[in-house]
Amino acid sequence: MNEAGPELERDQERELEALLEVSRRGRAKLERLHEVLTTPGHYGTGATPASVVYRENKLRLLRLLDETGQPRDGRPPVLFVPAPVSRYFIMDLLPGRSFAGYVAAAGFDVYIADFGTPSREDRFADLEYYVEGLVRRCVRTVGALTGEDAINVVGYCLGGTLSLLYSALHPETVRRLVLLTTTVDGDVEGGIPWVAHRMGLAGEGYDNPRLVPAAEVKSWFEMLAPGSNSTLGRFSDLWDRLDDAPERLREVRTMASWVDDVVPAPGRLLAELFRKLGPGANGLLKGKVTVGDAPVDCAAVTMPVLSVSAEKDTIAPAAGVDAVRSIVPQAEILRLPGGHVGIVAGRSAATLWKRTVEFLGGSGESA
Amino acid sequence: MADDKTNNDPSLIERWLAEQQQWQRTFVTYMDSMVKNDEFLVHLGNALRGSLLAGKPYPTQPPPSASAPETPSDDKLDQILFALRRLEGEVHDLKLTLAELKGERKRAPKKTQPAKPKDA
Repeated sequence: MNEAGPELERDQERELEALLEVSRRGRAKLERLHEVLTTPGHYGTGATPASVVYRENKLRLLRLLDETGQPRDGRPPVLFVPAPVSRYFIMDLLPGRSFAGYVAAAGFDVYIADFGTPSREDRFADLEYYVEGLVRRCVRTVGALTGEDAINVVGYCLGGTLSLLYSALHPETVRRLVLLTTTVDGDVEGGIPWVAHRMGLAGEGYDNPRLVPAAEVKSWFEMLAPGSNSTLGRFSDLWDRLDDAPERLREVRTMASWVDDVVPAPGRLLAELFRKLGPGANGLLKGKVTVGDAPVDCAAVTMPVLSVSAEKDTIAPAAGVDAVRSIVPQAEILRLPGGHVGIVAGRSAATLWKRTVEFLGGSGESA
Repeated sequence: MADDKTNNDPSLIERWLAEQQQWQRTFVTYMDSMVKNDEFLVHLGNALRGSLLAGKPYPTQPPPSASAPETPSDDKLDQILFALRRLEGEVHDLKLTLAELKGERKRAPKKTQPAKPKDA
């Protein structure tokens, strides 16, 4: 009994030491979280100074400015068209991590379409409203401001789909086209159209549309990222991350402020996209798409095209993106290592940025 | 020397007491931010949902009225409002067309008046 006493005491002491360490680590995480939550940063705003050159409904057309606050007018204009179901600033995330900023620094006159956040009446917006309305007027406005008959267009994700449809309908106004992670083959399994299909998008009403809530749109993306579709899973991930340095956490926060800030989507647009381009219909690949009453003929897309896919893309699988070569034969296909967002705004995004600047700097002759 | 150092080290109980005081400070820092900074609660709520999203609450299912109207008249109003939005765009299209026409007129060479034949 006398011999077991000190041993027991030492065991208890070791346990208390271990508990003290757990307590310190937990407190350090909470202190780091407090610091991250209270430090201002580039969260939800573009990184590059810009002026609004056109407004329509919720859309703002931004023109990036140089260090002196002036627009660049050296090289041909470039219009970035992001996906209307997410926020525009993924194109202009952080100083030093901005795709649009990089292209602007290379001397191009850069514009970004910010589609804004739709409200209830916008549930009636269809494909024609976006392609023949918002995108076309953005192109026309850029043309009017710069005096250029044809401009460069860079479309990302669903913004790429809108850009491709627009380019097929008005090829004379597009000098060069870049499609980033833009699904062309809707029959390729996986990705957001399939998940949306499984989660009931097929039942979305075209005639009596609703504004699809952001939480619902987000749930489709979460289905593609295991662990992110449960609060517990997400919190556990965040808790683990709180061991990282505050600078790294601020980067995570910047990205979270894009990933988690999904906007509600016009139900009519989603219903139309699904019926025309989604699994089964696959209208882009089959050449059976219409925008309004106008048939879309991808053979009209004769300008130089660069299509970029991401190897680990769960939102727009690479096979569905690279299929563009069967409808636009002259398209240069570039498949990059990384995911849907990483290739555009991640740490290795510079590969894409450099290639895009080289491509945009080429002559605008038709293929 | 080694003995002196051991004697100067705080005991386990002292370290636990210090840790408890640190926790109190951390707690007060959080409470302070909650009181002084309106946005902090939103950010903290997001963090509890596992997101570092800044500036707005993590998306949650809105009330049904936010996605579809509750009455037929609301539905009609929405349709009218959206029709007005379309018109807004078409008006801008017209403005752009007018500007293009003006520009073309400026660029076009002025028609020269045919020279009058000199009277004989």
